[in-house]
Order: sequence, then structure tokens, then C-alpha cells
Amino acid sequence: MHNSTPYSSINMRKSLIITLLVSLMAVTARAQEKFIFTPQWTAQAQFAGYYVALEKGFYKDLGLDVEIVHPSVTQSAINRIQNNESHATTLQLAQAMEIVGDGIPLVNILQTSMNNAMVIVSRRGKNPLEQQGEKVGIWQAGFGQIAICMSINDNLGYRWVPFANNVNLFIEGAVDATLAMSYNEYYQLKQTGIEFTEDNVYRFCDHGYNIQEDGLYMTLEYYNKHQDQARRFADASRKGWEYAMENPEETLDIVMRMVQKNNIPTNSVLQKLMLDEVIRLLHDRESGKAEFRLRKDMVDKASRYMYEIGMLNRPVTYEEILAK
Amino acid sequence: MKQEKQKSLSTRLSIWIVLFAAVIFIAALGVFFAESRNAVRREAINNATQVLDNTVQRVDNILKGVKVATENTAWLVGRHLDEPDSMFTYCRSILQNNPNLNGCSIAFEPFHYRQKGLYFSAYALNENGRIQTTQEGNDHYQYFYLDWYQLPKLLDRPCWTEPFRDFNPEDIYSKEMIISYCIPIKDTDQRYIGTMSVDLSLDWLSKTISAVKPYPNSYSIMIGKGGTFFVHPDSSKLFYQTIFTQTMLEPDSSVINLGHDMQAGLEGVRQMDIDGTNSYVFFKPLAETGWSVGIVCPASDIFGGYFRLINSIIGIVIVGLLLMLMVFSSIITKQLEPLEDLVYQAETIASGNLLEELPEYTHNDEIGLLNKSFRNMQLSIVNQMEELKKVNEQKGRIQSELKIARDIQMAMLPKIFPPYPDRDDIDVFGKLTPAKEVGGDLFDFYIRDEKLLFCIGDVSGKGVPASLYMVVTRALFRTISAHESSPSKIIQNLNEVMSKGNESNMFVTMFIGVLDLPTGRLHYCNAGHDAPLLIGNTGAGMLPVDSNLPVGVLPEWKFSLQETLLDPDTTIFLYTDGLTEAENIDHKQFEMSRMVELAKSMQKAGTFTPTFVVNEMTEKVQAFVGEADQSDDLTMLAIQYTKHHKDIVYQHSLTLTNDLKRVPRLNAFIDEVCEANGFDMSTTMQINLAIEEAVVNVMNYAYPEGTKGDINVEAKSNGEVMKFIIRDTGVPFDPTVKEEVDITLSAEDREIGGLGIHLIRQIMDNINYERTEGHNVLTLTKKLPK
Repeated sequence: MHNSTPYSSINMRKSLIITLLVSLMAVTARAQEKFIFTPQWTAQAQFAGYYVALEKGFYKDLGLDVEIVHPSVTQSAINRIQNNESHATTLQLAQAMEIVGDGIPLVNILQTSMNNAMVIVSRRGKNPLEQQGEKVGIWQAGFGQIAICMSINDNLGYRWVPFANNVNLFIEGAVDATLAMSYNEYYQLKQTGIEFTEDNVYRFCDHGYNIQEDGLYMTLEYYNKHQDQARRFADASRKGWEYAMENPEETLDIVMRMVQKNNIPTNSVLQKLMLDEVIRLLHDRESGKAEFRLRKDMVDKASRYMYEIGMLNRPVTYEEILAK
Repeated sequence: MKQEKQKSLSTRLSIWIVLFAAVIFIAALGVFFAESRNAVRREAINNATQVLDNTVQRVDNILKGVKVATENTAWLVGRHLDEPDSMFTYCRSILQNNPNLNGCSIAFEPFHYRQKGLYFSAYALNENGRIQTTQEGNDHYQYFYLDWYQLPKLLDRPCWTEPFRDFNPEDIYSKEMIISYCIPIKDTDQRYIGTMSVDLSLDWLSKTISAVKPYPNSYSIMIGKGGTFFVHPDSSKLFYQTIFTQTMLEPDSSVINLGHDMQAGLEGVRQMDIDGTNSYVFFKPLAETGWSVGIVCPASDIFGGYFRLINSIIGIVIVGLLLMLMVFSSIITKQLEPLEDLVYQAETIASGNLLEELPEYTHNDEIGLLNKSFRNMQLSIVNQMEELKKVNEQKGRIQSELKIARDIQMAMLPKIFPPYPDRDDIDVFGKLTPAKEVGGDLFDFYIRDEKLLFCIGDVSGKGVPASLYMVVTRALFRTISAHESSPSKIIQNLNEVMSKGNESNMFVTMFIGVLDLPTGRLHYCNAGHDAPLLIGNTGAGMLPVDSNLPVGVLPEWKFSLQETLLDPDTTIFLYTDGLTEAENIDHKQFEMSRMVELAKSMQKAGTFTPTFVVNEMTEKVQAFVGEADQSDDLTMLAIQYTKHHKDIVYQHSLTLTNDLKRVPRLNAFIDEVCEANGFDMSTTMQINLAIEEAVVNVMNYAYPEGTKGDINVEAKSNGEVMKFIIRDTGVPFDPTVKEEVDITLSAEDREIGGLGIHLIRQIMDNINYERTEGHNVLTLTKKLPK
């Protein structure tokens, strides 16, 4: 570069100036609103659409200055929402309904998942439905609502073992079976060399518990004040997901950058498998399309299950959680 | 050309030798390589295994130390459960006593000590030799959900955790990667109440294992029970990947199997592809934790020296073989030089120069022997050639003799056709085509005393023997028939003669016919020959014949005589089996049926003169046979009886008794007849003499002495010839067959009658005897004067 011609130097300088001018104009044209988004888990491909929307400038395009702040040990996503430290988070439908039922009004501003991804995997060769009363791992951080309903409904009476990480408990044989997300723990377990068959994996979606999961939520209070902003955030996020579906390879790169930035002990193989699975889950089983909508039937079903076993002290309705 | 041949022979030989040597080399080297490879491999395995054993032993010893220390302290803890604050002392003291330990937690179930609240976990941390203690549990460090706490609780036994990174946002914690040995704490009722966990930095362990490097490019790995790499030179894999991670996208059964075996605590060695490098993986479990330590050695490291050795040996062998090829080729070429000379000479000899001198070669080796053999061969070829020449000359002579024999044989056969151009009562045509130079078929005919004697025959076999037999047969026929007019007798005589001394068991089938020309009466006798055909104005068909036996088989056989009367214009067609058994290329025979059909068609067309019949048959049989070789002699003889009786213009008759006194009466009768028919005096006298001789002969011999008998003499003229027919009813007697008179004997010695017949023959134009209806009929013919 020491030998660059005078012409190219002039050119470089010129382009620098133009870039500066353009960015200045953009700032003046539209005041960027700060928006903090916290996904409910550490950085991983589960949130690929949001990372893409951020990286590709979809938020910026809609005038949002989005910052993604992952939850920490000290601060869970829902804590951040309640404390107004974050403006939006992702939650599973059942998890959100449980929170709403507990008296914290939340609204769904974008539904991404159209399917249930939860599975029960049991130790080699054992059918989870035949493991009555056995020790089954469950996330200490929540997410197990539908599994609890199923254990009661199907009279399985599992003894739940809350875990922070289920891999070691499972391979050591400390639990007989464990809950897992088909895009995450399922692959983590598989990565330890465990071979799953049709017999030792129970998929909730195949047994009448196909209740959609991840969606974008914010408190009703914040939503009521910032409806336009919420809509723009949802729109840009949806755009991010649509881009991710069309460009899975680029998306994986974006995810891996985010993962590395956050020092997550994972690898690109797991993230690729997760991304593929999450994209699959975006598609409704019946229509085969990524619909990005909350399904009333699923809300009603989840409400009924959870209310029946006393997890909800009142039914939570579709209308109640859907952003107007 | 010669040069090339020899080149190629020596080159070929050299190549074969070198190829053979190469095969032996390859086999020997193969065994050597395989053996030495195994030895190198065994050595490598021993070496690596030993290094691995030592390392694992060292690590296990450390882990065991941790275990013992933990258990000792746990025992103390168990004894002081009622003093929660003493837990801080215990966790501090274990670190003090074991400086290699990183930390220690003695943690209890939520609200185990009511006064301590939800969380109570006494924790000591050794930070560079400075030991701090704290109660680590808080809302952000809910230890009871962590592996180190939960595992011994759920498993209800002491255990090692997988390496992990601790994080307590609100308190002190180890910044290093640690592993923990955890023991469930139980109260006096053996109820689980908490977990004691002792931490060891993974760092020391990693360094110890990583330091193992038996080969320049080898590296060490360690995987946990979940397959996670806890030691690996690639930092992107360390902690973040398991041994199975890559196989989730690209299944690799060798890696999967290795992973499973390592997880299962097996010990062993595998050869496999690791990151595109052919490598050996030695692995052994840590007895304490169940983790597995492995050493990955590229095969090129292990076998580097071995491959260098192989390459140089292969190089030497190739160069050696090439040298061998060159050396052998030149030696063989040199050794084969005399052979080249020999080849050159041999070619000269082969081109016809039989007397060409062979090169001198003094060595007594194979080439010397070949040279000698060649000389001998040359000599014997020269001799053979001489022999051959002689044989050829002999053969030529035999051939020409055979030709002569054929000419003689053919000359024996009638060959002038038509044979009797002057006669209007008979037409004959015959043809013989031998299959070889000489043949065994025969035919013959001649007229004697107004009788046509004819025969056809076929000698068994072919060639010279058959031809000799044929000649004999034909000669005998002529001899015997000269004085015998009965076909059966002729054949009988023939048979007697030919059966005698017939050592070669030959035989002849024959048909002999005697046709009385004036009357058309045919006497015939068949000796095993095919029946002749008769083609006449009224039809065509076989002449009925008795088959009898062929001539020459049984000397005493009685041959039957048969007779028939031929209508004018009837053609008798005689043939040998060369006609009926003529074969075409498909070995189909011409057969009797075809011949008969042909005869019938000729009959219908009204053309059946002898020449036509024979030629037509010849043509048809040739057309039938086509390209096939003639397999047998082919002989055909056709005789047409064309006698048409002219009107009698003069007839006069006289009957006498057998009394010599009646002779003058006869003389008067003859004179009268001769005069009436214009004979001159001299001729009349002669005729008178002849008739008298014949009649007197009858008077003297026809009737037994003392018996009376009549003799009728009839004179007939048709304007051309005068016939005197003498009939009697005496004993059958044919004067015509009496021997010609031997005029060298005196008159008294001559047989009676003999001279008379001779006289009659001299005077008359023709003499003919017939025995019909109990009569001897002797016909004497004389042409009328013009």
C-alpha cells in the first residue's frame, strides 16, 4: 500500500468524506430510537432472525437503534423486561401464558415458532411413555410447562430433576430421561455419542401437545405506549427471520460471530443443526408455511392444559396476549 | 530379419529372467516389508502404549490423591454435621494440606440449617497459594442445580464431574477450568443432606497430558464421558466440541466407533484417518474418572524411517533389475551368435541348397548338439530326397503300366459301334467307365453261328485285382463260349474254373445271354447279377431272372437256364451296379426305380435304340451324381433285336429215315433245290456235300443204334438267302460246338464229325443249331447267287 498512486489516495480520501456526509445526513434525517432486546437464552441460532435483522440493518432501516443484550446468571430475560431494562424478549408461549397468569400482562408482538420443539429423551432404548415415576430432567429456568401437563395428563408421574445443564446428568445416568429442545439439548446429547432411535425419543408435537413456542413479547404497559415502535421492531425481526430462511449459510456466519462474541461454549456444527431445526419449526405443520402468527387453537389448548392442572389459576386468552 | 529374430529371443529371455527375478524380489521384499512393518508397528505400539500407561498412571495417582484427601475430610465433615461453621475450617484445611487443590465446597440442601437459610455452601478457594473462604450460595449461584452438587445426590455415590468453568457473579470463584470430586454427605440416618466437592485445576492435568509426545507430530487428547475434548491441541475443539461433533454432519464410523470405545473405558490402538491424515490413535482410560486419554500419531511419523528404507530398497531393486536386463540381454545375444549363423545356413538349406556347408562349431553344448543334429538332418534329407526320387520314378512307372493295363483292358472290350453294320437283325451298343485306372466290370458279345453270345459282369472289388479277374473272366467266356452255346453251361464251366484256387475269395456277378438271331429266342443264365431291362414296343420291364450265385463262390453250384422269345425291336438293357448304386454328394443312390422310370419314358417316346438308351442313361446318371466322385465302375450294354422275317419265296421239304441208303434221295433233293434257286454247279456240289455231311451225321448218331427215326430237311428261300433246316427227334446234339478240327492229326484219329462240321463251315455261310420242342434243329444258310 506504500506504493499507492496519488490518484488512488485522492479517491480514498474522497470516498471517506462522502461516507461521513451520508451517515451524518442519516442521523439528522431520523433520530434513532434506542431499543433493547433480550432473547431468553444465551447467544445461539435459536435467535438467528434477530441477529440477522441487526447485522443486515433491518432495525436501523425502520429507525430503531436495537441493542441485543443476552440474559446473564444474575438477570434473566423476564427480569429485565419487568425492570424495564429491556423492551422486548422472546418467550415460549406456555411460559408467557404462565407469566401472564401470574399477573404480569405481556403482549405477543410477533410469533415465530409454529411448532412445539420439546422432546423427552430417555436412556438408551427406553420408551419415555413407559418410564412412569422415573427421574426426568427439567430446565431449572422454566420452559417445562407442557411437559408437566403431559406427565400429569398421561399419569406418568415423572420425578422432575431441575437442571442448569442436563448433558452430564444424562450421560452419568443421574437422570433416567430428560426434557430437551429438538434444536438444542437434543443435539448436545447426540454430540456425546448417544444414539437416538424412534423408541427413546418422545416428541410432544406428535402426541397432541403441538403448542407453538418462541414469540416476541413485551409488557402490555410498554406496548401501549410504544405501539408503533413495537410494530416496527416486529416487522424488522420478521424480515430478519425471512432473510435467515433464504440465506442459511450467511446466517450461520452471523450466528457464529455472535456466539464467539459472547464466549458461548458451542460449535458451528451444533449451531448449523440448531438453525436448520429452528427454521423448520417456523413452518406450520399444516400449511407448510412460515406464518408468523399466533394460533388461537394452540393458545386455547395450552390454556386448557395449564388451567386443568392448576398451573394457571385462570384461563389466559388469545385475545389477551395478542398485540392489538 | 534374422537380426531381429535373435534380438527378440534374447530380449524375451532376458525379460523372462528379469520378470522371474522381479517376482522373487517382490515376494521376498513383500514378506520383508510386511514383517518389518509389523515390527515397526509393534515397536510403535509398545512405545506409545508405555508412554500412555505412564501418563495415565501419573494422572490417576494425582486423582487418587484428591480422592483420598476428599474422603478423609468427608469423614470429618460427617462427624461434625451439627457444627455448620466448622465446614469453613474443613474446606480451608483440605486446601492447606493439599496445595495442588484449587477449591473445596461443602454444600447443603436448601434450608438444611434453618439458621443459614436457603443457601449454605462453605467454599474455600486457593488463589495462587492464598486461601479464601466464603459461603458461596446466593440467588445467582443456586449451587443445588449444578452438576457437582446434583450428581452425587442423584447417583447416591461419590463421583467426578466433567471439567467445567465455575461462575459466581456475586462471590469468589475459580477462574480456571476445574474438575471436582464430589461426595454425597449423609446424616446419621443415611439421608442425603449435601455434597462435598473438591476442585482440581484442569490446567495441570492438561499440561501433563499435552506434554506426552512420543513422535514429532503426535499430539495428545483427552475426552470426557460425554466425548468432549478436554485436552486437544486445536483450541476450537477444546471444550467446545466432542469427538462426535464432526460426525453429526459427515458420519464417519471409524471416529464414532473410536469415540464409543473410549467412552466405554476400553484401551487400544486404531489406525484411521484423522483430519485427512492417516494416523494411529492409542487410547487408554483414566481409571478414576472414566475419561479417556489418547495419543494421535501420524502414520508417517511412525513409519517415516520405514518408508525411507522401503523407497531406497525399491530403488535399488529397480536399478538392479534394469542392470540385470541389460547384462542378460547382452550375454544371451553373445551366446546365441552361433545359433544365428546356424539359422542363416539353415535358411539357405531350406531354400533348396541342400548341400550348403554348415558352420563349424566345436563346443559340445546345446548349440553344438543342434549343429550336429542339423548336419544329420541335412544328410538324411539328402538321402530321403534320393529315396523319394526313386519312389517317384517307380510310381511313374507303375502309373504308366496301369495306363497300359487300362488300354489293354479297354482293348478287350468291343469298341467298334455299330459292330454289325451289315446286319439288319441286331444292333448293339456298350460302354464301360472304370472308377479307377483299371476296373472290374466287363461286357462282351460276338456272333457265332447266327447266335449272339453276350455277357456282362462285375468283379467284386475294384482296381488292379478286379481288373485281373475281369480279364480272366472275359478270356474264359470267349474260350468256353467258342464251343458251348448254352449260357448255363458256359457259366457253370466258368464257375468251376474260377472257383478253383480262388484264394483271394473274389467273385463275379454275371449275366450271359445267347440270342438265336434267326428266331429271336433268348437263352440266358444269371449268376447273381441284376436283372436286365427289356424295352419293347409293348412296354418296358425287368427280364425275370433266377438270381443263382455269383461266379467263383461255389464250384459245384448248378446254374439254372432260362429262356424267352424276343419280339422284334426289343432292346435288352444290361448294366452293372455302377448305374443303380451311383451316389450323389448327399450319398443318395440312383436306384433301380429311377432307371426303370427312365426306361419307361424312353419306351413311351418310342426311342430305345441301344446307343440312345446307353447315352441317355449315362447322361441322366451323370446329372444325378453331379460333383460327387464316381464310386464304382459303370458298365452298360444294350442289344436290340431288329429281325424282321422276309417272305418266303421258295419252300421245299424232304423227310428221310435214318438209313444211309436214303442219301442219294437227299442228293437229288438238294440238286433240285439248288437248281431252282440259281446255284451254279460247283456251288450245288459243295452245298450237297455239306448237307449230306450234316444229315449223315444225324443218321449215324442221333438215334441209338438199331432204332428208326425220321430226319426232315426243309429248304427255304426269301430271295436273299437259302436256308436248309435239318430236324430230327434224336438225342440232343449240337454239332456246332464240336472242336475245330485239328488238321494236324491223321484222318483216322480225328473225332468223328469234327471234320464234317469243319467242312460244313467252309461251304456254308452260316451254321446254327437249336434244340426246340424235342427237336434238334440245325440250320445251314447260304447266300443266293446274285
